[in-house]
Amino acid sequence: MEGEILKGHLDMIVLAALSARPAHGYAVIEEIRRRSAGAFDLPEGTVYPVLHRLEQAGLLSGRWVTADSGRRRRVYEVTRRGRRELAEQRAVWRQFSDAIGGLFRPRRNPA
Amino acid sequence: VIPEYLEKLAGELAFDPSLSRRVRQEVEDHLWEAVSAEPAGEGLDAQRRAIARFGDARVIAAQLAVGSLAKQARRLAIAAVLLIAGVFVVMWARFSWYALMQWPALDSTGALGPVVVSVERSAFWVALFVGVAGWIYIDSRGIPAALSREYRRQLRRFAALCMAAAGALIVSVASDGVLTALRLAGTGWSVQSLLPVFSMGVEIACAGLMISYMRGLARTTWRLRGSGGQ
Repeated sequence: MEGEILKGHLDMIVLAALSARPAHGYAVIEEIRRRSAGAFDLPEGTVYPVLHRLEQAGLLSGRWVTADSGRRRRVYEVTRRGRRELAEQRAVWRQFSDAIGGLFRPRRNPA
Repeated sequence: VIPEYLEKLAGELAFDPSLSRRVRQEVEDHLWEAVSAEPAGEGLDAQRRAIARFGDARVIAAQLAVGSLAKQARRLAIAAVLLIAGVFVVMWARFSWYALMQWPALDSTGALGPVVVSVERSAFWVALFVGVAGWIYIDSRGIPAALSREYRRQLRRFAALCMAAAGALIVSVASDGVLTALRLAGTGWSVQSLLPVFSMGVEIACAGLMISYMRGLARTTWRLRGSGGQ
C-alpha cells in the first residue's frame, strides 16, 4: 500500500495494533503486518516516532522491562485516553469507509 | 553492523541525551529480535537485512527529533510562566520586607521613583500576560509527525511570544533594580539590605534562566534545520 496514504493514519494503526495487549516496538510492527495481511509493510523504524509521539500525547504509556534475551525493552500500553481516541477514530473511519464504499459501488441502471 | 547503525542513530540524536539513550536501547532490542527471527541465522547478512527493513537512521532520527523539539517548546512555555511567577513572589517578599523594616515609601525618593514603579508594573504584567499566552498557544498545538512548514511557523510565533515576554521581564527586573537601588540609597547600607540585594539576584537569575531556555530551543531548532523528518 502507498506509504503516503499510510502516513496519515499511522497513529490510528499503531493504537489499533496495541489495543489488544501491551507490546514493544517489534511486536507492534509484527501485529500490524499480521492484521493487515502484509498490506501495511512500512519501514520498521517509522513505528518508533509514532510510539513516542502517542506516549507524549498521553494516549500510550510505556514501561521498561527486561526481555528473556537480557536486553531492556520498552513495552507500550494504550491508556484510557488512548482507548477513547481510538473509539472516536474508529467511528470516523467507519463513516468515511461507508461513504467511500457508497461512491465506489457500481450503480444499478434504473429499469 | 548493528552497533554501527545504533551509533549513527544515537549520534543524530545527541542533542537530547536521554532520547538518544532511550532510542538506542529500543532499536537495539528491535534489530536483534529481527535478526533472531531470520531463518538464515544471525550472520552479517541477516543484520544488514534487519537494518534495511528498519529504515534510514537519519530519516528516523529526524522524525524522533521533532517530538523532542515539541517537548522542549512545551517545557520552555511552562518554565517561562513559572519564572515570571517566581519574579512576582520575590518582588512580593521584598515589599513585605520593606513594610516589616518600615523603610520610607518611594514617594520620598524624588520624581524618578513613581515613574519607574509604573514602568516596572506595566512591564511585569505584559511579561505575565504574554508568557501565559505563549504557553496556551504552544500547548494547544498538536505534536507534529514531522518538522513541517506549518510547525516551523507555529514555533516562530511561539518564539516571538517568548521573546516579548522575556523582553518585558528584563525591563521589569531592570526597573526593580533601579527601585531597589533608590530604596537602599534612601536608607543607607545595613545588614537588612542583604535581603533586597539577594532578591534582586534571584530576579536576575530568573530572567537569565528564561533566556537560557530560549537559547536551548533555538539551538535545537537550528540543528534540525533541513531535516524535514518526512
